[in-house]
Amino acid sequence: MTDVDVVGLGVWSESFSNWEEFCHVLGGGSAETGRTLKPQAIAPNERRRAPLSVKMAVEVMDQACRMAALEPATVATVFASALGDMHITEYMCRTLADAPQAISPTRFHNSVHNAATGYWSIATQSHCPSSAVSGYSNSVSMAILDGAIQAVEEQIPVLVTVQEVATAPAFKSVYEWNQPFSAAMLLSPVGMCSSNIASLRLNASGNLVEPPQPVPIPGVELSGNPAARLLPLLIAIAEQRNADMQLPLSRGSSLAISIAAGCRARQSES
Amino acid sequence: MRLAIGAYTATSAAGVGLQALQDSIDNRQSGLRRNDLQNCDIDTWIGRVDGVEDVSLPSHLNHLFSRNNQLAWFGLQQDGLLQSIAQLADRVGPDRVGVIMGTSTSSIGRTEEAFTCLLPSGQIAEDYQQPEVHSLHSPGFFVAEATGLTGPAITISTACSSSAKVFASAYRWINHGLVDAVLVGGVDSLCMSILFGFNSLELVSPELCRPFDHRRDGINIGEGCGYALVAREDLLPDAQFALLGYGESVDAYHMSHPHPQGEGAVIAMDRALERSGLAADSIDYVNLHGTASQANDRTEALALARRFTGRTLVSSTKAWTGHALGAAGILEAIITLEAMRSGINPGTLNCGQPDPELAFPVLIDNVSRPVRFGMTNSFGFGGNNASLIFGQMND
Repeated sequence: MTDVDVVGLGVWSESFSNWEEFCHVLGGGSAETGRTLKPQAIAPNERRRAPLSVKMAVEVMDQACRMAALEPATVATVFASALGDMHITEYMCRTLADAPQAISPTRFHNSVHNAATGYWSIATQSHCPSSAVSGYSNSVSMAILDGAIQAVEEQIPVLVTVQEVATAPAFKSVYEWNQPFSAAMLLSPVGMCSSNIASLRLNASGNLVEPPQPVPIPGVELSGNPAARLLPLLIAIAEQRNADMQLPLSRGSSLAISIAAGCRARQSES
Repeated sequence: MRLAIGAYTATSAAGVGLQALQDSIDNRQSGLRRNDLQNCDIDTWIGRVDGVEDVSLPSHLNHLFSRNNQLAWFGLQQDGLLQSIAQLADRVGPDRVGVIMGTSTSSIGRTEEAFTCLLPSGQIAEDYQQPEVHSLHSPGFFVAEATGLTGPAITISTACSSSAKVFASAYRWINHGLVDAVLVGGVDSLCMSILFGFNSLELVSPELCRPFDHRRDGINIGEGCGYALVAREDLLPDAQFALLGYGESVDAYHMSHPHPQGEGAVIAMDRALERSGLAADSIDYVNLHGTASQANDRTEALALARRFTGRTLVSSTKAWTGHALGAAGILEAIITLEAMRSGINPGTLNCGQPDPELAFPVLIDNVSRPVRFGMTNSFGFGGNNASLIFGQMND
């Protein structure tokens, strides 16, 4: 059993660009589309070089740290994505098939799975441990579990980011999602931070569970996106209600998550 | 907590299985060869594992076919590892054993192939419609399927520190009680993305790589895989070695250049030392990241000089194996364990003219001296660093 506090949240999709807008959309507000991204956390020269996948991740990581009022250089990071940046993969593979000597060195170093956490560490001057992982369709559950265990075992807040870019054109015969989605949850050892938004109790077991059904949000199309498996949890937190859910971890194990809403009010910063 | 290390095995250009690796090291025999890959005219040397392309996967795993998974399967067959896994899984239950793999490029070689024969629509053709294989989790997914282990499974991909970090996550999972044991490992295979990618950064050498030599001019890309079964002490009473410490850090400096003073490297080594409770001078041998790039060897030597004295022997084994990227961490952890077992500290192959400008001297020739405490360093793109410290279990 693993208990952690959720002390910060960040979200971005083409239909909502932060937590406030996400809550607005859940409440029946209109979901605007075609959001652009200009994360302020990274310097303009770095931002120009950064691919969309990095901008998405850095944006939600920054949002979560701001919500928690935590110094970004004091938190460890776990970035999770099933496929990584499929658009860079497609660029690399197309170039290799056509003119391999033309590979761009910048796009090559941006192709590492830890590109987003690399840019983040440079922007925040953080030397804290940083990981980038994949659990394919179970990336969300594995990242929450791995990040929460790190928070407890190392007694450090862990910024867990889950995201998936839109399916790149050549991969549309393999994968079915069309919209990008990114979310960050700042998990902290219980009581370490002066306030929390929710608390999570995690129980891993050898029980088998079915993959969850997509959660429809009016006007938002994220079904099939592996990162969207986080949505039911985010919705419960947004609606400030207790909830229980189960997610597969692997072919023979699963994670039960109990969410308890805001058990401690935000303390005055004075 | 000490994490017990049970069965382990390594496969690289320097040998398939532990005995072949030890023979290569004892005989100072490099596994590198001139680049002979088809469709790749880069003037360099590579560390290719012979026969990977002829490896057949079991029929129930054919849908996961890729060179990377062929190499992963080849590596699993060595040194009785599968039997050790099955015995432990029988005792604790397969759902109590996790799988944590490290990789840099996963099965991207298979994706590259898919792009040479796309459908007229520009999409991936049926033979290559393998959803798990194009994922970064391809190695973790494959190894879980191949071993029958059903506990939590994840793949870490932090470039060249990937399969060093698997030990840190396994330590946390087991100490936390999530699982009783973890199969940790790493696998990366030769592919065009890596060869042409590193070539575009002007980081590959046209020569056999020369770590810490003043003429060093870049890396040789290798492939490889390795595994170690790690568990709570009471489950592996015969274990000879233990993980005593790990340290993870990031440079916060540049995506593809190390910090000029080795700042992140020092932090990773310090964190590993702190967790192990050991003073730097207690470490007998350090297997270095030692890629033979100008920048890595200079900054790693600077970092070493800030913590170690001449008592500690340090070396790079990259001229035996090539740089196996996401598999380098586990390969070099195993080379360190083998040094602890045999008492043979491997020197630095192909360092004929040690660079006098470097801040810390490396061991050139193999030296016989007992290794009570061994350390290994792995540093990757994104400034991602990991250091591991191993000790003797009966110490």
